[in-house]
Amino acid sequence: MADVLGTFEQAVLLAIIRLNEDAYGRAVFKEVELRMERPVAAGAVHATLERLERKGLISSRLGPGTPVRGGRSRRFYHMKPSGLRALNDARAAVENLWQGLKWPLKGIV
Amino acid sequence: MSLDPTPPRWAETLLRAFLRPRDIDCVSGDLLEEYRDSVYPHSGRRRADLWYGGQVLGFVARRVYAWAVVFAVAFLARTAMDWLLPTTDFRLRSTLSTVLGVGILLLAGFRAGLRSGSFAAGPLMGISIVAIAAPIKIAGTAALLAMSHSPSTIAAIRGSGGLAEVFTLPVLMIVPGVIFGAVGGFLGSAAKRLSSA
Repeated sequence: MADVLGTFEQAVLLAIIRLNEDAYGRAVFKEVELRMERPVAAGAVHATLERLERKGLISSRLGPGTPVRGGRSRRFYHMKPSGLRALNDARAAVENLWQGLKWPLKGIV
Repeated sequence: MSLDPTPPRWAETLLRAFLRPRDIDCVSGDLLEEYRDSVYPHSGRRRADLWYGGQVLGFVARRVYAWAVVFAVAFLARTAMDWLLPTTDFRLRSTLSTVLGVGILLLAGFRAGLRSGSFAAGPLMGISIVAIAAPIKIAGTAALLAMSHSPSTIAAIRGSGGLAEVFTLPVLMIVPGVIFGAVGGFLGSAAKRLSSA
């Protein structure tokens, strides 16, 4: 099994899945902020995207810019089958940890 | 007059110096879009500029932090050695710590130049390493002094240059930071050009 994904890596990969064809840098950044319910540094998202691409879990392609970006191009990210497998493994790992326990935990002092 | 607000020029320059060429347009475009579309309309110019500068410094810190920690630890190790294992002949220690410090700055500058293809990345890397390492070094030295201040340690401190030196040197390192970062950046950006030629 590949390395288990960290929480932030999972948040970025899930944002790419949710955004589908619109998963470019800023959109991923906004989606991660929304889901994590806290401010997120653009540098952290970018570093994670770079790492996930290096690990072969996602791929990217350049797309056209828009006037608000001063015409600067956008990089769109796509899930690869290995990325989906890694997310499934991460989910399975968490479910294994929680197996037999009722959530939310109660009565432990 | 342009209707499009523009983020601080220094921040754009810094960001570009620390990014790979393939990322410059997309990452700076992402930040510009967020700046114009979301932060500026809600928070105004001053806070939007602060936000943009903070994001850029976040990018820089991620690239620099590990180098700065190694640089600071090397300095603190030398200080601890001088204080706790006193000597009268500092030649070997000075040579080793100088080579190590210069090596870190050269290598970090080289990596930055190689990654971005920009010469400017080298000196900016050197300055950033020194800027992040200085408070770590000063706090570490103060902690060391708090833990060990016996008469023999105080004598060793006096014999190795005194307290003024250990507290000012981390800031004065900005000069070698620029110089050796620039040399590394020059070599790294030249290597990048050669490899892509």
